Order: sequence, then structure tokens, then C-alpha cells
Amino acid sequence: MKVLLVEDNEMNRDMLSRRLARNGYEVVMAVDGEQAVTMAGSVGPDIILMDMSLPVVDGWEATRRVKADPATQAIPIIALTAHAMAEDEKKARDAGCDDFDTKPVDIQRLIGKMKALVDGQ
Amino acid sequence: MKRQLSYKEEHAFLRATIDNMQQGVAMYDAEHKLVTWNERFVEYLDMPEEFLGTDRTFSDYIRYLGARGEFGDNIDIEKELAKRLAVLGTSHSFERTRPDGMVMEVRRDPVPGGGFIATYTDITERKRQELALRQAMEEAESANRVKSSFLANMSHELRTPLNAIIGYSELLAEDAQDRDDKASLGDLEKISAAGKHLLGLINEILDLSKIEAGKMEVYLERLDLERSVGDVKTIVDPMIAKNGNRLVIECPPDIGTLNTDLTKLKQCLINLLGNAAKFTKQGTVLLRLSRTSEDGRDLVRFDVGDNGIGMTPEQVGRLFQAFTQADSSTTRNFGGTGLGLTITRHFVTMLGGTIDVVSAPGKGTTFSIVLPDREGGEGATSVADDLGLEPEGVASSITVLIVDDDPAVHDVLSATLGREGYVLLHARDGAEALSIMRKAPPDIVTLDVQMPKIDGWSVLGIMKSEPALEHIPVIMLTIVDDRNLGFSLGASEFMTKPIDRSKLTALLRKLAPAKADSTILIVDDDADVRELIASTVKAAGMTPAQAANGREAFGWLSNHEPPALVLLDLMMPEVDGFAFLEKVRDFEAMNDVPIVVLTAKDLTDGERAFLAERTLLVLSKSGQPIGTLGAALSALAHRHHAGGTKAGQ
Repeated sequence: MKVLLVEDNEMNRDMLSRRLARNGYEVVMAVDGEQAVTMAGSVGPDIILMDMSLPVVDGWEATRRVKADPATQAIPIIALTAHAMAEDEKKARDAGCDDFDTKPVDIQRLIGKMKALVDGQ
Repeated sequence: MKRQLSYKEEHAFLRATIDNMQQGVAMYDAEHKLVTWNERFVEYLDMPEEFLGTDRTFSDYIRYLGARGEFGDNIDIEKELAKRLAVLGTSHSFERTRPDGMVMEVRRDPVPGGGFIATYTDITERKRQELALRQAMEEAESANRVKSSFLANMSHELRTPLNAIIGYSELLAEDAQDRDDKASLGDLEKISAAGKHLLGLINEILDLSKIEAGKMEVYLERLDLERSVGDVKTIVDPMIAKNGNRLVIECPPDIGTLNTDLTKLKQCLINLLGNAAKFTKQGTVLLRLSRTSEDGRDLVRFDVGDNGIGMTPEQVGRLFQAFTQADSSTTRNFGGTGLGLTITRHFVTMLGGTIDVVSAPGKGTTFSIVLPDREGGEGATSVADDLGLEPEGVASSITVLIVDDDPAVHDVLSATLGREGYVLLHARDGAEALSIMRKAPPDIVTLDVQMPKIDGWSVLGIMKSEPALEHIPVIMLTIVDDRNLGFSLGASEFMTKPIDRSKLTALLRKLAPAKADSTILIVDDDADVRELIASTVKAAGMTPAQAANGREAFGWLSNHEPPALVLLDLMMPEVDGFAFLEKVRDFEAMNDVPIVVLTAKDLTDGERAFLAERTLLVLSKSGQPIGTLGAALSALAHRHHAGGTKAGQ
């Protein structure tokens, strides 16, 4: 399974990509929302893990753009945010995210959510 | 036996009394000539010797002081003098700042048979302290805001490195597991566990600071209780297992659904179950759900019980205070911030519920949360009473916040306005009202005047000082003695002085759509204020008309077509703003004309009492006038839609 990980924080990107790789995923990375939208089209990932507070174009806007493009709208997106608040979850879902998880990630829980979205298609 | 004083002795004593007073004292006879004074009077007024004890009068002194610049530059001394002479017949006092910065309280009291006593007190120090106190209060308020934003930012800054600690220790633990390196694995798991614990504490502190700053939002959704309890079980299972406890869940299969905030409910249950597990060893932790009802409302009750160490009544009393656990040794023995229960109680309150606890040492503890089924759509930030009727017409998108401490008023307004399709929000006091408004500004607010703690006028004052709230139309409600008054709709807006021109322009645009023939009637006794407003009105493309008081305003109204808007000062000579508001509704043509009241930024207690008594804008709560309120709301709503701008957004 090919995962597009969108995260501007270098350490978070490094950690999560290594842990996903260890669990057998192919990981490609974007560091801002604009890059994420471009790569969603060019790389064709099976799923996108999207940080929400991103430079250039934020995660909510990037999600809206991915979901607005017929070529990429079928790709499931899981929002990752540091704030485990109800309004963040609602905001992410309103932008078009298919699921929501909080950082720091519980890797097994995240993988469970990823599988549910990709296999459930 | 009482001592008899000779005239000479008595005179000497009185002289000594006057000379040694801390105030400057002067006595004037019926012809306003200075007859007695003390040293401090000479010192404070700095009057030349030849003025004292001569034929010169009070008026001469005032002219002399004025010429010396004692009352400021560019003053009309004859006007100043006339002002002073006009009030000499009654006791009065005022403050005056001298050119050298000294602040003096001047008091004048008439004496029987004519003449008066003048007393001068140096209040420079008192004024300085008052100013310092006010500054200190402003600083404290600003420090509190800084604290809240500091905590919010800080917690983000703390989380980022913590993410790395938790994440990399878990990464290394996975490596260690692959290598079967048990020694490293144990240590790495400890780092990760400590990091997660710290993260939990930071989250709790953030939650509490958000609650205290009034920034915690409620997100309502209809949730399946059995499924929610299942989610909670998954999370608490490891905590329960830690002390060898057993979790028993009693959840009736027909428990159904509840409209509430899922995240907050889960957090409350996890807090209580986590506590129960922490203070119980080899025991049983129970989570029981049941349906109950009170005053016809459907409620869901959550009991979390344990057979652990329990608490004494004193410990129970301190339970919900922030940063307090049963006693300080609890923290050493059991860990935790002591914030969990405080947050739980706040959340339960925000969800409209109650929390209780029953406990005895050695007998265990049972916490009970009772939550109402919060009616209203998903995502509503507060309760919206839904009477099961489809909203219709213009009212369907209008949110009305009802602020009243009397539940009966909420019931009556819910029944009447709810049927019209208004979305209703409810606040029981001023503080709750402000918190709801700040979270999501409603379209219209109805405000009770008399409420405990913060009264309606104060809420209005606070609203008008906050940019996000100042544009929300307010309808003041109060109990009026004269029922007829209830039928008159008063002012639809307040504006505070000094007038902010941009705000005034915005208000004009909102209430009086710009047409070439729109006339704005300005009623104010201050010619400068009238001119300022008139120029703003002209700049907005409308025609100003001016009246110096209520009487002139009525004169104008008798000879002209009704204006598009009236801007009304309250404190005016002859016919004041209150009297104008009372009588203006006799002019039938004026019924639809919005009136904006101009008030000083802070209403004085006297003005407030006056307004509260005379019931300015006011719709009666008793009897018929509810219909009038509906009409008023509808008028405001239409105007507000026609204006194309949504208030408070």
C-alpha cells in the first residue's frame, strides 16, 4: 500500500515514515499542502495522511482541493492533528477528511484506520 | 459639670479648630464677602493678601482666579462664574485640578440666613491611588488574557518535542523487540510511558485553561450509547487491568441514543473510570447506565462505582477543586494532576447535566453523572429548543439568545418564538450569556434587566465594548408596572459616546438604507455632538435634521415627514430622552422608525436605576405583549436581512 504522508515537521515526518515503512508500507512525503495536492495527482497514493497546520496551503484547504478533483477525490484522507478537540475533528471532516486521528499517533490504531478505509473501498 | 466657656475662650477654640483643619475653609456672608478663612485656604487658593477680608466678593475672587488661569485656558469666565453662582443656594461639591497638578475637592454649603461655607480638600493622593488601582486592574485583566494565550501556545510548544520523545522511544522499542533486546525494551517502554503521562497532564492543563477562558466549545451529536460505552471500555481496559480490577458494565440493550458531546462524555467517563481503577485494588469497577426523567425531561444517568479505599466527607468536600486531591499524600501514592475531576465537573455543566458523589472510607466511591438529551441539530454550540415544528419563513435562520434568570420566561418565549421558527439559545445569567455570545454570536438578544451577579445593563455595556458583539441588536426585557408601556417598542440600538464615526456610519447604513431623501433626526443638547453626527450623516449621503431636546424634536416631527432614523441622547434639558421615548410612540407614523439611543460609555448608577425604573425600550413580560415581542423580533430580523449583513459576523 502506497501512503502519501503530508507533514511539515521533520521529526514527525521521519518517525511516522519509518514506523510505517517498518509495517510494510511504501511511504512518499510532502512537506506542505500545495505539494500534497500535486503529489496526490502525480504519485497516485492509496491513502493520504494529512497534517492540518501546514505552510503554503493548510491541510483543510489541501483536503478540499484533493476532494474537488475527480482524478484524486477517491483517495481516502486521514487528518492528523495535535489537538484532540471535538471542533478540530468536525473541521477536518467538514473539509472532506474520511477519518481523523491525533498526534502522537498510536501506530496500531492508525494502521487499523488506514486498513478500514482502503480495504473498505 | 459642663464647663462654661467665655466668649473669648470659645472664639479662641473655634479659631484653633479652623486653623488646624486639614482642609481649606472659607465663610462668605449673605453679600458673598469673605468673613472667615484659615491658613490652608490662603495656601490652596494662593490669594493675595489684599483680597482677604475686604469688600471684594466671591465673584471678584472667581474672576481673579480665572484671569490667573486657575480654571484652564480659553474659558469664558463670566459663564464659569454664572455656573458657580447658580448653585450656591444648595450644597454641592466638585473636583478641580489646579495648574500645578493638585487635585482639589471643592465643597460649598449654604448657611442659614444667607452666605455659604467653602471647603477645599487636597485629594491629589486619593486620585493618584484611584488611578493606580484602575491601572492595576487593567493590567491584571490583560495579564489574565496573556496567561490564557500563553498556556495555549505553550502547550503546543511542549507537545512538539514530546511527540518526538514518545515517537522515537516507541520506534527504538520496536527495534529492540526485533532484536529480542529485553533490557533496552523495558527502559524504552518506561520513557514512552512517562512521555504519554506528561502529555496527558499537558492536555488536562490546556483543557482547563480553555474552560477558564470560555473557549471550550460544545459539539452536539446524537450518539449510540451502547457503542460509545464500548469505545470507552477499549480505552480503560488497560487501566482496569493494572490493579487487578474487574470492569462490570451494566447497559440496558434498549438504552438508545443521547444528543450530547461525544468527546466530552467519553473524557468524563474515562476520568471517573480511571480514578476508580487507580484507587481500587483486586476489586470491581462498575459502569451502569440507566434512563430517568425529571420535570418531563429525559435524562441518562451514568454511575461509576468502585469498592476501593473511599473518602471521608472532608475529602469529598475538596474533591472538585482544581489541583486538589483527597490529600497531598494521594499525589505521592497515586499520581495524577488532580485536574481530572475539575474538568469532568466543568464538562458535565457545559452539557447541562449534574455530577454527584457518594463515598465512605473503606466502602468505595460512586460518582453519578446525569445528562439531559440536548435537543437541537448536530454541531449546535448550545441548546436550541426544538418544539418538533419545522422552522419556516424568515425566522428559520434567526438565532435568538434569551437571557433571563426566570425559567418561566424561557418557557413562555420558547413556546411563542419557537413556534415562529426562531432558533433559541438560553442563558440563565449574564456570564453565561456572554460566554454563549462569544462562542457563536446570535442574531438577536433579549436581555432581562434585573438578574443576579451581572445585570442586563452591564451585559449590554460589555456587549457594546466588544467588536464581535456590539452590532447584535438587543431587546431589553423587564417587568413594567404600566402595562401599556409594554406595547411600545423602544430603541433598537445603543451607541456609546464619544461617537465613533465609522461605527455610526455602519449603523446608519444598517438601519436606514441610503436613499437621497433619507432624513436622520439628531436629538442632542450638545451642539458639537450634533454637528459631528450631522457631518457623518451628510458624508453617508443622507440629510441631517437637528433638535436640541425632546421638545424641539416633537416640534420637528409635527412639521415633517417621519425621519428614517432618530439618534437620541438621553440626558437633555426640558424634555429628555426618556420622556421622548415614552411619548414618541403616540406619533403613529413613528412606530416603524428605529431609534438609536446615544449614551455615555458607562451608564451611572443613577441612570441605570432611572432606566430600570422607567423601563426604556421595554417590553413587558406579563400578559399580552409577547406578541409585540414577536413583531419586534420579526421587524429586526427583516431589517437585518434586508441589510444583507449578518449581525456579529
